[in-house]
Order: sequence, then C-alpha cells, then structure tokens
Amino acid sequence: MHEMITLNILLADDDKDDRQFFSMALDGINIPTKLETVVDGEKLMDYLSENRQQLPDVIFLDLNMPRKNGFECLTEIKLNQQLNQLQVVIFSTSFEQEVVNLLYHNGATYYIRKPSGFLQFKKIINHTVSLITQENRSKKSREDFVITLQGS
Amino acid sequence: MATLKKSDEEELIIAHKELAYQNEEKEKRAVELGIANKELAFQNEEKEKRAAELSIANKELLFQNEEKEKRAAELSIANKELLFQNEEKEKRAAELIIANEELAFQNEEKEKRAAELISANKELLAFTYISSHDLQEPLRKIQTFVSIILETENLSESGKYNFQRMQLAAGRMQLLIDDLLAFSRIATTELVFEKSELNVIIDEVRADLKDTILEKLATIDATEIGTANIIAFQFRQLMYNLISNALKFSNPEIPAHIIINSNITKGSKLHNKKLSPEKSYCHITVKDNGIGFEPQFSERIFEVFQKLHGKEVYAGTGIGLAIVKKIVENHNGLITATSELNKGAQFDIYIPAA
Repeated sequence: MHEMITLNILLADDDKDDRQFFSMALDGINIPTKLETVVDGEKLMDYLSENRQQLPDVIFLDLNMPRKNGFECLTEIKLNQQLNQLQVVIFSTSFEQEVVNLLYHNGATYYIRKPSGFLQFKKIINHTVSLITQENRSKKSREDFVITLQGS
Repeated sequence: MATLKKSDEEELIIAHKELAYQNEEKEKRAVELGIANKELAFQNEEKEKRAAELSIANKELLFQNEEKEKRAAELSIANKELLFQNEEKEKRAAELIIANEELAFQNEEKEKRAAELISANKELLAFTYISSHDLQEPLRKIQTFVSIILETENLSESGKYNFQRMQLAAGRMQLLIDDLLAFSRIATTELVFEKSELNVIIDEVRADLKDTILEKLATIDATEIGTANIIAFQFRQLMYNLISNALKFSNPEIPAHIIINSNITKGSKLHNKKLSPEKSYCHITVKDNGIGFEPQFSERIFEVFQKLHGKEVYAGTGIGLAIVKKIVENHNGLITATSELNKGAQFDIYIPAA
C-alpha cells in the first residue's frame, strides 16, 4: 500500500459542537487528514488570503454563519481567479431545494446535510473525504451533488 | 136691365171680367198657397226631425261630457297618487344610496380585515417556517450527542434503553419539523407559474430518493410525460411526496413499481363532475403496486395529521398528502385517490391547462 498524502481540510463553522463533531469524525477515518477551523465567513476569507501559498485541498462550509455567510463566501471564492479551483463542500443543517439548486449553480462541489446521528456523521464525512481524494475536478452532475448515505 | 145704359153695361162687363180675372188670380194664389203650405208643413216636419236628432245628440254630448269629467277627476286622483309614489321612490332611492354607501364601507372594512387575516396568516406560516427551521439545529445536536453517548459510554441496559427511546422521540420530532417546514413553505412561497417539463421534475425527485428506490428495488416508469403550466418548486414537492409515499407503502413481497403518466384532456372526457366539461386539463396519474388502502379512506388521507397506520409500523406525520392537496389547490386543480387494500393505489391530478 502506497503512502497516502495528507488531505488538508478547512472547516468554516460558527458552531462549537459541530466543529467538535467534525474533528471527532475525522479521527475515526483511515484517510490521513489535517484539519484547520475558522469560526465565521470573514475569518474564512482572511485565512484564504493569508495562506495563498498553502491553500487547503477542500473547504467544508457552513451556510448560516455570523458576519459573512456561506453563500457570500462561496460566491467570493468562485469569483476569485486564485481561489476558484478550490473544492467547496457545503455542510448545513437545513435542506431547502431552492438553496441547494442555487449552491450547485454557484459552483459548490457537494452538498451535505448535517446528519442527526454521530454514526451517520462519521460515515458521511468519511464518504465525502474519500470522494474528494479520488475524484477528478470535473463538474458533478446535479444528481451526484447532494451526498446522502445509502439506506439512511 | 134694359134700362141700363150701354156704358153701364160695358162697365159691368169690364167689372165682371175684372172679377173673373181676380178670381182666377185668387185661385192661382190659393193653389200656390196650398203648395207653399205643404212645403212649409214638410219643412216643419223636417225641422222637428232635426230638433229631435239634435236633442238626442245633445243628450249624447252631455253624457260624454259627464264621462269626461269623471275621467278627469280620476286622472287627477291617479296623478296625485303617482306624485306620491314618485316622492316615495325618491325617498327610497335616497335611503338606498345611504344603504349602498354603508355596504360599500362595510365591504371595504371586510376587505381590510381579509387582507389583515391573509397577512396574519402569512406571518403565522412564516413564523412556523422560521421556528421549525431554527428548531432543526438544537434538535440535531441532541440527536448527535445521544448517539455519541450510546456509542462511547458504558451504559447499563436500562440507561441504554432510555437513550434509545430518547433517540426515537427526537427522530419523530425531526420528521414533524421537516413536514411542518414543507407545509409552511407551500404557503409562504410566491406562486409563480411556468411551463415546466414534468420529466425534469420527476428526475430530480428520483435523484433525491435514489437510496430508497434502490432499497425497495423500485422501478419508476415515466415515459409519456409532457409539459405543464405549474409552480415548479411546489410541483416538485408534490411529486416527491407522492413517489416517496408509493415507496413507503410498497408491498414488501414484490418490487415496487410506480407508473407516472400525463396528458392534456378535455374535462368532458375525464369522468369527474367537479371538472368543467369545456375546459382542458393536464391529467397526471401516479399509480403504484403497493399495499393500497380501503376505499372509504380515499378522502380522509388528504387531511392534515390523518394516518392509516400506527407510527410503529409506518413512520410519518400525516402531513405529506395534505401538502400534496394544498399544492394541487394552489394550481386550481383537483386530486383524487383510488385504491383497494393490497391492490395498489392510484392518484389522479387534474390541473387546468393554460
């Protein structure tokens, strides 16, 4: 088995518990990851401009955050030539079809609805992280945009 | 006589002749008088006749006069009556104008109230929406922490059982919140009709339900599907609810099979009294081979919180088909359900075709 490259993940979420769940979930998967967290959209954009040389491989982005929400961040990232190749996974409690369509249209890579059980939480993070490490960056079809767990 | 002088004699003759002449004249006169007399008598008679006729005519005129006076008197009375009625009518008209104004005012007030009610209703639904939306997050946290405890802590059997019950209850609350959200979403979003491909909508729903479709080994046939003038966002929800319903109530012994069709048909050919015969409708059918339901429930299943199965058997809130009905109503349409127990169910949707 060849050595796996560590996946650099940046999580933007204002919720302390969710950041903890996320970090716990990453601990339980067998893909090496490195996690950085920011607590709102403004901090996310600051982080990205301060770390131009070492951008994360993927951003997990909460939608409902103070000061600058996930939509604004996604739009800014996709309009910025230096950032628009970044993979952005939307990670939100709510699930509004219109919102999901808009996010797909605006260039997000995946949409995950935060699951209500920790087991599912771990599974869905594991599944998403492995999708990110495997796949090429071609645009996903709308059908594959929302990540769900089999049989849940 | 001999003694008479010749002159006397002559004189006598003359006198005689004179007398004879006079006599003759008198007789002529007498004859003329007789004729004149007759003439006068005739004229008299004629005059009497005329007089009698005039008298009759006079009487007639007198009678007519009297009649005319009577009529005049009657007309005068009728005139007064009309004048009175006219006055009354003017009074009534004035009263009606006032009453009309009052009604207009009341109408306006009612419209104001109705508008207030509509906005209050919208506010209420918006409130339901926002509150249910924001309730999702703390609930999810509770669920996640419960599952972390169940997974990582060394609990006693009863402790484990209680946490599991807590998890179940939280799960039901989540279902309720999701459905309340969907229900309030139907009423708070703007009704924008657009010509939409039903196929696209069905494909989206298929994508959302792909796991359940796999799990139930279900096939969805939607081949004869056209376009319809619909509120696309709501119709998507409608198809989602109907298809997920068909999957949920599928017969566990056979693979689920759902057939969706649509076509434009005249109301007169649709065998439903509530449709107007001359209008065209987009008729959509969703048919499954699931467990169905007894025919007597065909109306009740569309009411809010109405369920035919206990929550232990089939989880659900009883809001799904109520949402479906509300969406059809938003489209000025009609929905019916037909089924028999264990013989599948068919939903017929009729939406006025633009």
